[in-house]
Amino acid sequence: MTLPIFPVLVVDLVGSGLMIFFAVACVRLSLRLYGQDRENVLWVYLLMVSHALAVFAVSRGVGHIAKQLLLLGDYRYLWDVLRPYSGSMNTISFCVVGAVTLFFERIWKVYQQILRDRRALQAVHEELVSLNKRLEDLVSERTEELKRSEQKFRRIFEASRDMIAVVALDGTVLDMNPAGREMLGINGLDLQGEGAASRVSFGTFCAHPEDWENLRERLRRECYVSDAEIDLVSRDGREINGLFSAASQRSIMEKMEIFHFVVKDVSQRKAMQKQLLQADKLASIGQLAAGVAHEINNPLGIILGYTQLLIREEPEGTERYEDLKTIERHTRACKTIVEDLLSFARRSPTRKEPASLHDIITEVLSVARHNLEMRRIEIELHFDPEVPALVLDKDKMRQVFMNLIMNAQQAIGKEGRISIQTSLDADRRHVRVSVADTGVGINPRDLPRIFDPFFTTKSPGEGTGLGLSVSYGIVKDHGGEILVESEPGKGSVFTVLLPLTAEHSGPGEPYE
Amino acid sequence: MRQEWMFILFCFCVAIFDPAGAWATQVHAEPEGLYSHQLGHGFFIVSMGVFIYWLRGRRLVRHKGWRYLQYSALLFVLWNVDAIVVHHLENQDDLFMKFSEGTLHAFLQPYPGREWVTVMFYICKMDHVLCVPAIIFLYLALRQMIRSPHEFSPRDVERP
Repeated sequence: MTLPIFPVLVVDLVGSGLMIFFAVACVRLSLRLYGQDRENVLWVYLLMVSHALAVFAVSRGVGHIAKQLLLLGDYRYLWDVLRPYSGSMNTISFCVVGAVTLFFERIWKVYQQILRDRRALQAVHEELVSLNKRLEDLVSERTEELKRSEQKFRRIFEASRDMIAVVALDGTVLDMNPAGREMLGINGLDLQGEGAASRVSFGTFCAHPEDWENLRERLRRECYVSDAEIDLVSRDGREINGLFSAASQRSIMEKMEIFHFVVKDVSQRKAMQKQLLQADKLASIGQLAAGVAHEINNPLGIILGYTQLLIREEPEGTERYEDLKTIERHTRACKTIVEDLLSFARRSPTRKEPASLHDIITEVLSVARHNLEMRRIEIELHFDPEVPALVLDKDKMRQVFMNLIMNAQQAIGKEGRISIQTSLDADRRHVRVSVADTGVGINPRDLPRIFDPFFTTKSPGEGTGLGLSVSYGIVKDHGGEILVESEPGKGSVFTVLLPLTAEHSGPGEPYE
Repeated sequence: MRQEWMFILFCFCVAIFDPAGAWATQVHAEPEGLYSHQLGHGFFIVSMGVFIYWLRGRRLVRHKGWRYLQYSALLFVLWNVDAIVVHHLENQDDLFMKFSEGTLHAFLQPYPGREWVTVMFYICKMDHVLCVPAIIFLYLALRQMIRSPHEFSPRDVERP
């Protein structure tokens, strides 16, 4: 029995070649796998196995091919040199494959742990992304809310009719709404701008500098101030009665203290309060004067009656007769004053009838014209033909206009102009008669007292101080108002407002 | 430092290319190489066996790629057994005689009574019949992995 070696030789040579070919192919594939995911330890394992097997295949294959060729070529001695190296390399390489494979379980567990960690990381990442999204949504929502709030408060700031201002500790105005700018007459100023031109100190608008200092001190001490009345002066010199509400705030961002002001212009309200006070005062005085006048009027009547009886029995020319005449004259003067007081207090009887205001004024002027011409005082008349006839006491109204014209004449002295103008109010409920003069005007301090009985700025003996009081009483008795505007050195304007009765509230019928 | 490295390299070269002249603490005679080689084959068998057991334990063989890898491991086990047998028989002097060695006409003639062992040796000598399919299965497994890496590397497989 013989067994030929040739088939073994062929299988050895072909098999070695195939081993080398597939081992190299495996290395290429494992490299591709590793390239797809370098963090996958399974691929690392296969990469190591493939390389170790490639080393084994090449070493063994080349060794076997070399062996067959060397033996056929009768180079056994060369094969004897190579054989130990080839055999050792084979041993080492498949031992490496075995060792790596034994560690495969550990590699698999590491891989599973990595997967678990990756999943946990992914979950955390997704949660973070979700939280981030929610945070972004929340920030977006809050930003929108903030924007809406800012717009709302900006509208309040812009549309407020009261001044709203932000002022620094040193008084520099940082921001002010349009109403405030208009109130202070700084409309064109850019408060947010750079440079000294845009810097405005709030303190400079206070009528009394100490008010600003006091306000600032109170704000620093108490942090807020409510309903403080401070007078302001605008850039154009207009006086404003301001009602202040203020609060201080320490800005952490800007590290400075700032004040927030809300200032209400109460000038009109104050003026109305003054008028009401004046009316109340005059009503009280009138009540008092009426009481006094009523009590004095009767004794004066008796004194005058008895004096006249005594005069009738006394022959003329005697000293006693002259004395009685003096008593009679002064008693009559007293009686006139008492009657004036009664007129002021609206206790004297009135006889109201339809009459033309223009006629009454013309009659008064015809009496006073001579006197006015002597003093070279011009008269300007502007009668509105729309003014209808009014129901009034002609005598008393004559007295009112006579008082006003005579006062104007005395205020002018010599050379000047008196303008008398009548008009119908836009609401057709009042007739307005204004008497304006170019006289010396009235001192602002005296303005609140000019309607007080016996108040006069004339020299003693020139007037009793009852003229305007009587006029006030008469106009009030007709349901009207008497107003005064005056500027020292330029003149005064007295305005009489008389109400139209119900039948005149329709379109007026011109009577001239 | 560089001189020390040069000395170490010199010693390594002497040990590799002139083992007889190396001052080893023990002499490694010829049978030792065969034994370590055989033990290496044994180690390879064990590691592949463990690998197959482990693949089946985790039921990874349901997937085509792992299945190919299992076949590859199994063939490598068989090849190692084959190699151990061949190495063992190759070193027996009383099995057969070689004639015309080193030529294409070489043949074996068993000693009387050793025929079947010689035939087994003759068949086992063609070990590439086992190791080439083994590496081909490895190649197929890798190709399958490239085609469906997620199927091959499942993310939800864990021992129950």
